[in-house]
Amino acid sequence: MSTINNSRRNFIKHSGIALLGSSLPISLVELAFAETTQNFSFAYISDSHIQHIKGAEFVRNWDQGLKRAVAEANLLTPKPDFVIFGGDLAQLGTKEELDHGAEMLSALSPKVHHVMGEHDYYLDLGEYWEKLFGPQYYSFDHKGVHFVVLNSIRTYDEWTYKRWPTNVQRMAEMAGLDNPNGSPFMVGDEQRKWLKADLAKIPKTTPVVVFSHSPLQKIYKGWNFWTEDAEQIQAMLKPFKQASVIYGHVHQIQYNQIGNISFNSVMATAWPWPYPQAYAQAEQYLPKLTVPMNRADPFFERDATGWQFINMANGRVDMHFSLDSNNSRTVGFNKSKKRPEDTVYPSEAKRTAPQTHY
Amino acid sequence: MFKANITMKTALLGSLLVFANASIADEFTDADVKRWEQQFMDTVKQGRELWTSPKLGNNGVVCAQCHPNAANTHPETYPKFQKQLGKVAPLWEMINWCLKNPLEGQPLAADDPKMIALQAYVTHERRGVKLEPGKH
Amino acid sequence: MRFIIVLTLSITSLFAYAQFVTGNADTKPSPGTIKQQSNPKPMLGLPPLIIPVDNPQTQAKIELGNKLFHDKRFSIDGTVSCSNCHDDNKAFTDNLPVSLGNNGKFGTRNAPTVINAAYNKVQFWDGREPDLESQSKQPLINPVEHGLSDYKPLLTIVQTDPEYVTAFKSVFNINEKAITMDYVAKAIASFERTVLSGNSAFDRYYFKGDKTALSEAQMRGLQVFLGQGRCVSCHVIENDQALFTDSKFHNIGIGINQIQQDVPKLAEAFLAAKNKGANVDISVLSDKKSSELGRFAVTDVLSEVGAFKTPTLRDIELTAPYMHDGSLKNLNDVVKHYNNGGVTKVGDPVNPYLSGGIRPLKLDNNQIDDLVAFLKALTGSKAANLAAKEN
Repeated sequence: MSTINNSRRNFIKHSGIALLGSSLPISLVELAFAETTQNFSFAYISDSHIQHIKGAEFVRNWDQGLKRAVAEANLLTPKPDFVIFGGDLAQLGTKEELDHGAEMLSALSPKVHHVMGEHDYYLDLGEYWEKLFGPQYYSFDHKGVHFVVLNSIRTYDEWTYKRWPTNVQRMAEMAGLDNPNGSPFMVGDEQRKWLKADLAKIPKTTPVVVFSHSPLQKIYKGWNFWTEDAEQIQAMLKPFKQASVIYGHVHQIQYNQIGNISFNSVMATAWPWPYPQAYAQAEQYLPKLTVPMNRADPFFERDATGWQFINMANGRVDMHFSLDSNNSRTVGFNKSKKRPEDTVYPSEAKRTAPQTHY
Repeated sequence: MFKANITMKTALLGSLLVFANASIADEFTDADVKRWEQQFMDTVKQGRELWTSPKLGNNGVVCAQCHPNAANTHPETYPKFQKQLGKVAPLWEMINWCLKNPLEGQPLAADDPKMIALQAYVTHERRGVKLEPGKH
Repeated sequence: MRFIIVLTLSITSLFAYAQFVTGNADTKPSPGTIKQQSNPKPMLGLPPLIIPVDNPQTQAKIELGNKLFHDKRFSIDGTVSCSNCHDDNKAFTDNLPVSLGNNGKFGTRNAPTVINAAYNKVQFWDGREPDLESQSKQPLINPVEHGLSDYKPLLTIVQTDPEYVTAFKSVFNINEKAITMDYVAKAIASFERTVLSGNSAFDRYYFKGDKTALSEAQMRGLQVFLGQGRCVSCHVIENDQALFTDSKFHNIGIGINQIQQDVPKLAEAFLAAKNKGANVDISVLSDKKSSELGRFAVTDVLSEVGAFKTPTLRDIELTAPYMHDGSLKNLNDVVKHYNNGGVTKVGDPVNPYLSGGIRPLKLDNNQIDDLVAFLKALTGSKAANLAAKEN
């Protein structure tokens, strides 16, 4: 619950820009607006897991999360240029869930670009989702930045097409995060071929931002905080001067830097997930850079959930997390260290008790 | 060293006495251990099924949705002060809080086989972690 | 008559605190001394009270604060003292929906009780002041409360009225010219730190094991409070104490529900005005709609739109009407509002900024009655005596 300090307020007054409700520290604001080209913002909402009970009944908790994110995102001034929905709009991929989610998202004033999540996909392999939201992978350009959307939650054909007697069971098996019957996520040959061709058209100096549902890096296979062909995608992004990957799925704050590629996760609006190290029985590779988010009090259903507001600062992403019942967090790209860094909790000494996970 | 030897001899003598009169001791065989461990693991398995069952509560939400592999349940820290209950509480009372709240269902009795199975699963997933009652 | 009751109350309070009230005049602490002191024997159910090191409790200071608290001359029209809205006879509230200030002007918020305000981590419904000292200065210069344009008229009185001159001299060891608002605020805060409530029927039942202290209905109500009612997560009870507040801010669907459509424009306009230097204290008490932005008006944090501080529930029976805008007449209406999941009338739209802790409770009418009965067991022994005298 940080307060906007006076220097920042003066800055805002002079620049004529009011960042509603953000608590961007002044250094970051300067970074964001130091050069005037290519600076804009967009909002990112993800992992709403709208869950149908029966008839017109949906799980209220998850509904409230999405409604809140939409209402808060609509308070931003100036308006974000667009909104990304990062996948897992539904819990079990049904028409009821996707329709209900789409209806709540329709209250957003800017245009929404969608990313496919496994909970949206494995019932009908994205058929109904495509009707509502368009193609499963695509790219677009905005103010000098090349944006790519991938469906990163596909898996081996054997698992998808042969393993399960019904679509409903296939969906249910993939919906359990820790289900040993699941299968690792991947982008797959078809999309990698497309991506290669898509990126070939772009000058290497153009900033590239990739949106995927799963992390395009390998963190913990047991919960699919993982993409099987991550290295191959990373290799395709390597030649670019500035590349960023923003992903959902993990329901927690993560960030990393691999070579020239920045990785940032986004929060869920539905519920938070434990960091993988909280599972005592398995090895995991949470990026060392990451300062964990606070542990949640389950009474406050929105605790440790949230959405984000992203500043594109000259080709780099600065993530501003709007967290309920929690201090807002900002993870900005540190130019001198060449990696994302939390602007409030960069050191061990600054961490608060609820940020300790065990 | 000398003392230790004495102790060992006493212990040996003790076990000989036990052998001499099997009916008064808690003696069990490898086969017993295997069977009991199997029974425990069956309970763990039942617990895992409940942990992932949409039928445990009333709204289809399952425990594993927020707690994959029962992570962040911290069974080793109970009993501890639980804000949601306003008192120092054992794990099973917090499980009931979750059943009533996120799952919008009915609580279980402390000795309900389902409650025992849930605790067996949660604790099994956290095996090897040292006990730290009261930790936050 | 009122003065006598006030005096009685203060003396009772002082009795409880005899052990930590010191007879010394204010002295600056030497470096390295402890930062705070606390009363060693708090009332049953209350934690030790933390006293700021630069404002220790003394009997003379408390008496001075009491006098200042009740002085109507500190207002534009000579009718408003602190006790107008924080009336000793009304459990330190005014029993009005929103407070009546100078010249018949109404504010936008329900007068919060002074009872146990000493334990608050921040003051005012939106927490815009950190402590009693800083809080006590604001209503004096708010146009809809005491209405003074600045502190000069008040300081002139305390610097010339011989009784005050003598009192400030003996309490703070300063001459009349040196009396500033900081001293006035310290004295008022010291008085307010004696307005405490504990040792209720609930406390005797819960912390002392007196099974006769609560009725059957109240005991059932306590279980609703701890369980299905989900009350305890914000109105905190712990193993050995209960302040009935988490000192946090929550949007519970009061006030904000009526202005949901206006929030985007309202929030933008409010922040624009604030960035140009508008006074938050004046804005939120003069403009009903701005008032409903709640904690957001103070922090600019989106997740605090429409959020207000969790009030204590001690002496709650005596502080009707309820909620930050006084919109609910009785405790039954309050419980029903929560039972509906944050809407006063069933079927009204839930506001999207609603706290994640608020959802429908599915309490039946018997449970609601039991819960209300339980809330009436939180009346402190002092207030209970007071209520008895009044009757």
